[in-house]
Amino acid sequence: MGYRCVRCKQPVEIDYEYRGIRCPYCGHRILLKERPVKIKRVCAE
Amino acid sequence: MKVEIIELGDRAAKFVLSGVAPAFVNSIRRAMLAEVPTLAIDYVNIYDNTSVLFDEQLALRLGLIPLITDLDSYVLPSECSCGGEGCSQCQVSLTLSAEGPKTVYSTELVSADPSVMPAEVVPLIKLSERHRISLEAIARLGTGHDHAKWQAGIACGYKNVPKITISDECDACGMCVDACPRGVLVIADDVVKVVDERACSLCRLCEGVCELNKIYDVIKVGTHPDSFIVTAETDGSIPIRELITRSAENISDRAEALDGYLSVIDMEMEMDHHAT
Repeated sequence: MGYRCVRCKQPVEIDYEYRGIRCPYCGHRILLKERPVKIKRVCAE
Repeated sequence: MKVEIIELGDRAAKFVLSGVAPAFVNSIRRAMLAEVPTLAIDYVNIYDNTSVLFDEQLALRLGLIPLITDLDSYVLPSECSCGGEGCSQCQVSLTLSAEGPKTVYSTELVSADPSVMPAEVVPLIKLSERHRISLEAIARLGTGHDHAKWQAGIACGYKNVPKITISDECDACGMCVDACPRGVLVIADDVVKVVDERACSLCRLCEGVCELNKIYDVIKVGTHPDSFIVTAETDGSIPIRELITRSAENISDRAEALDGYLSVIDMEMEMDHHAT
């Protein structure tokens, strides 16, 4: 699952061994989940 | 049965049905709401959505857009020769691609069939700078039984035709005229007269304010038990005339089907009787 740092806009891979989430480039702690590049089918109801 | 049309427009109608039972009028109302099929977006293939709305919210908004439907061109997926998998007979594709800043309206949907288009200009989503949506919506026929998005009839209802009687004991004090919220009663030549009986909402305020009503039945608001004022409206997907005729056809078809089932049961019972 890909994430992107809100501050420096760099793509970030989460290290699940490390107990905490932090951008390895700028140290910012808010990351956004990237939308997967695939077609999503949603029921209209 | 007698039908008298009061108003007939493209999307709304008002008519009086006389000489029928309440159950029949109610079945017409229910058929208009839930039995007449119409096109609505069933599912959405979302290619991109960087807007503030979730995919599911956007799909829900798309699903509720009324689509102009030619009922002779499409069949229900359950009755289609493709078995409901999806073909040009039972579904139509609409695409939408927009980039902000702008407000996206339902009219921006591009349909594969030019006869199928949104019946109303509905704002779908407000896009800001760099927001983008790109999707393909699949519309299918369905009935209001399954989901409200397939409900062609809206605001369908009926009431008994009011019957207001004013006796000779009335002193024309004018209390009932002032109390009536619909302006149904007037005083003319020192007599209380009913000007528009069908406009009466049966609130009976006139009966309550009349002092003489405590002694005699001076003013009495009742109803014709077998006459009904029916009001119906469509969401724009099909004309109101078609909605009413198709709902009547639906009742007729179901009555015939029921008759068929009952005759089969009768035959089986007769065969059992002869066997014993």
